[in-house]
Amino acid sequence: MAQSMERSFIAAGSIEEAVASRMVGAVVLAGGTWLMRDPLRGVELPEAVVTLHRIPFLSEVIIDADHMVIGAGVTHEALGKALRGIAGFEALVGAAEGAANPGIRRVATIGGNLCSIDFAEADLAPALLACGAAVELETTSGAKRIDIADFLNDRRALLEQAILTKILLRRDLIASAHIRLPLRKAGDYPVAIVSMALDADKCCRIAVGSVEPVARRWTALEQAFAGEPGGFPRDAERAAALAAEHNDFQGRDGTEAEGWYRLQVLPVLVKRGVAALRATEGLA
Amino acid sequence: MTVTFRLNGEDYRFRDDPMTPLVDILRQERFLTGTKAVCREGFCGACTVHVDAEAVPSCLKPVGLLEGCEVVTIEGLSAGHQALHPLQAAFEAADAVQCGMCFPGMVMSLSAFMRDNPDASRADIKAAMVGNICRCTGYERIVDTVADCLAQQLHTAKVAGGAGV
Repeated sequence: MAQSMERSFIAAGSIEEAVASRMVGAVVLAGGTWLMRDPLRGVELPEAVVTLHRIPFLSEVIIDADHMVIGAGVTHEALGKALRGIAGFEALVGAAEGAANPGIRRVATIGGNLCSIDFAEADLAPALLACGAAVELETTSGAKRIDIADFLNDRRALLEQAILTKILLRRDLIASAHIRLPLRKAGDYPVAIVSMALDADKCCRIAVGSVEPVARRWTALEQAFAGEPGGFPRDAERAAALAAEHNDFQGRDGTEAEGWYRLQVLPVLVKRGVAALRATEGLA
Repeated sequence: MTVTFRLNGEDYRFRDDPMTPLVDILRQERFLTGTKAVCREGFCGACTVHVDAEAVPSCLKPVGLLEGCEVVTIEGLSAGHQALHPLQAAFEAADAVQCGMCFPGMVMSLSAFMRDNPDASRADIKAAMVGNICRCTGYERIVDTVADCLAQQLHTAKVAGGAGV
């Protein structure tokens, strides 16, 4: 049964201890739902592991009047419960409560979701991009805050010398939506994800996940929306037409879907997203 | 590395690789073979156990994360000399079990769900089951039984409440 009696397994009691372990090569273990599948992918489990579950602040969600802070160790289930009913964060709740299945959601963390570099289907990445999140990393020289888009693009290098500790959000959204298309309703990875968020000025951020290897903002479509009369498409059909016109993604081929299909479904997901935005309290 | 946790109400000490999946310890070290190792990637739910009262997949739980935890498997839900858990009894009465491969996981997921959601709707029950795959496709009878079991619990609670007035 044992793969290595000599494996180093450190349950860090502080973030400084965790960073120190990371600096000497330990791999961060969060909920384990990604890392523990390494043997199935033909990858050996790491020889040195550092866990974060004994660091209390990583499991906290702090919600203030104008911002919120989510600890990287917060599980999907806890995130959904904490944010349910808060206007503007429907996308984040949808991502947290729609990903994977209930058992996984009780274990998998937001930090693990964002730090699993090869996990193109991560639900929280596009939701957080749409919601305009920033992240905080702990390094040997202290905390460092960066925009989530920069983090997602540069995380392979960043995480060599840092640990993701917090996700930071402003509470300036009036509505958001998270639309995912799995092949079957139950448990599948999504073929494509569209997350949208709207602020009080009707400025719309749109992000797409699972279509390309890394989730990203759909800036061409955001600009097209802004160019519409009133700064937003008059209805969901118009939004879908704009999405078809401004589709600039390179679909990735995968076992669950080919790249062309991921591209083809995006306008429909945008249509559903705009309809969902219009149905929220913020736009009623 | 040594990890100590409670397993079905008894102290258990494990000394080996801390990245060993819990399901392997249950089946290979403790011979608790009710917990099934099927997909080993958290999709099928057949390995579901309770860790600190939460239903989680044991295939993805490294034992190193279990220090001080309370683990309950299907064998611990109701020991042989005790009455069955009400959900187990309901499944038996309804003849809901087919091949049995998914069932320990179904019972562990749904018993925790029933405890936390006494007013659950049929749609809620189905949503709670999306991580438990039944290859016999016996879902409807399982959903029926959980719904009946919840209704019975509510009725019993109401009668008990009424008797106390």
